[in-house]
Amino acid sequence: MVRVTTAALIAAALLIPVPAADAVELKIATLAPDGSYWMNEARAAADEVAERTSGRVSFRFYPGGTMGDDSAVLRKMRIGQLHGGVFLAGSLGQVAPDIQVYSLPLLFASYDEVDAVRSRVDADLVAALDAAGYHTFGFIEGGFAYLYTTSKAAGFDDLKGRKAWLPEGDPIGRVLIKEASLSPVPLGLSDVLTGLQTGLIDVVTGPPVGAVALQWFTKVRYMVDVPVIYTHGLVAIADRAWDRIAPADREIVDDVFSRMTRKLDQRAREDNRAALRALGKQGVEVITTSDATKRQWQAMAARASAALVQELDLSRALVERIDAILDGYRREASADDAGAR
Amino acid sequence: MRSSSPRCPTPAVVLAATLLPVLAGCSAVVSSTTGRLTEGLTAAVLDQNDPETVRQGAPAYLLLVDGLIAGDPDDPELLIAGAQLYASYTTGFVDDPERAKRLAERARDYGWRALCASDDDTCGVWELPFADFERAVGAVGPKHVPALFAAGAGWATWVQVNRDDWVAVADKARVEAIMKRVAALDEDFREGAAYVILGLLNSIIPKALGGNPEQGRRDFERAVELSRGRDLTAKVLLAGEYARLVFDRELHDRLLEEVLAADPEAPGLTLSNTMAQARARRLLADADDYFGE
Repeated sequence: MVRVTTAALIAAALLIPVPAADAVELKIATLAPDGSYWMNEARAAADEVAERTSGRVSFRFYPGGTMGDDSAVLRKMRIGQLHGGVFLAGSLGQVAPDIQVYSLPLLFASYDEVDAVRSRVDADLVAALDAAGYHTFGFIEGGFAYLYTTSKAAGFDDLKGRKAWLPEGDPIGRVLIKEASLSPVPLGLSDVLTGLQTGLIDVVTGPPVGAVALQWFTKVRYMVDVPVIYTHGLVAIADRAWDRIAPADREIVDDVFSRMTRKLDQRAREDNRAALRALGKQGVEVITTSDATKRQWQAMAARASAALVQELDLSRALVERIDAILDGYRREASADDAGAR
Repeated sequence: MRSSSPRCPTPAVVLAATLLPVLAGCSAVVSSTTGRLTEGLTAAVLDQNDPETVRQGAPAYLLLVDGLIAGDPDDPELLIAGAQLYASYTTGFVDDPERAKRLAERARDYGWRALCASDDDTCGVWELPFADFERAVGAVGPKHVPALFAAGAGWATWVQVNRDDWVAVADKARVEAIMKRVAALDEDFREGAAYVILGLLNSIIPKALGGNPEQGRRDFERAVELSRGRDLTAKVLLAGEYARLVFDRELHDRLLEEVLAADPEAPGLTLSNTMAQARARRLLADADDYFGE
């Protein structure tokens, strides 16, 4: 009888996976609402990790911005209340300045240029963040941010004096607005739509997916076709939490979350294309800039970038390396064009 | 121009685009010969306390409505019934995403046709840029409320099942414009059903991203008030959408306990209330997991 009971207990023990005593639960905050594509992917990744580590590593998500904005999440990570978060790259500028480098104004003229640079530079930025005490799985494209206006601004000078949304605590936006002679109105993201509705602001910036999802298109009528800023985000986990995971399990988490990151990164581009079409369908008119206007934009961006490299404390060597990659890419592209002709 | 005033024997029913709405049926299926039959059928459906019976029986009812519309393609009352039946059946009973998209497209199409048949100033306005569309909806008068609501309910269903499509994401603003107009013209319509959809739309985007969940809460609460608390669906959605979005577990659990303690039997609401209770049980069961306690 005793033997039967023991056998049954052993059998039961074999059938029921018991989480190891050193199980790690990672608490991650994000602005993405539950049920969004983003959260669905994150939950699927978390399930895969839990299964492959037999429950030694699990995730607890706090979606929908319930833990506050990026800076609040970063504070909570510092005191150990949270272990990780999903951030806009700019929000981690304080801990690793160089990860903001892609957001220098008009750095890229096209997504092809983005790809040429990111394929060579992403790894260095991941390493910079690592050195600052944060683990990440790569970058997730947010896409090019464009300018949207409530009334037509055909030329660069037509923007002068218009009331432009300045995201709170965003040095890149501040310098850009100053150099473009716009009139800055500092607002949190949560007040942008209301600001457009009440006329407090008449110029906003963001990728097309933002302009659709946050319903800016109900108030703006025009989009200027200049890719002003490249935006990107990332999942960052504090080393303090990351290091509690056994090395073999870290490999599993890296594998699963890097795959998720690449998927979201690629999907973002298609989403922005689709969102751009949706904007057109809602009646938002794309303003094509003339060559002369483009040159004005580029001159402004050069001034703004010079100021920002200093203000954001970006590595000059990194900026020069990116410029060199872009120069090489552009020479090759124009040689290809000439060859094609 | 034809006005429509379908007589719904039962109130507050169609919460299309909600997650558990009901076979609605406002029986606008009141063509003279079939009127009594369809009214009786509708009442029987809405008072059913076994959702599975409705799930299995509803397709025949949809075909019946399709047939009636084919015979009288510009009758606003039939088109209203078609939009609402397809909307409710899709959101309440269809799990297969591809089927849901097909059925929701029909709901949206019937809804647009119903509005156009009721108020010919609105024909084709859904193709206009947003600002012009909003103006056109703002000009719709009170006698077109049933058709306007049907257009919003059908469209809301289409938006709901096409969440991966950016055109649908943008169209949320159009559904909102319609439901705001319905609420402004006749907030009691279907005991506040417009507020349920407004509550849903306002509980999607978190405050941190510029959403207005508090408005969503007020909308749901207004819907509860207007149904004098008898309609359990609005409460379940207030818990499942709003309370979860803002991470308010106390409110979440309290509302769901109230729903489970209530008597689901109410004329015209038995089916939707029964489904609301089932959803309340599911939400409570996975609350620990969601709220992380």
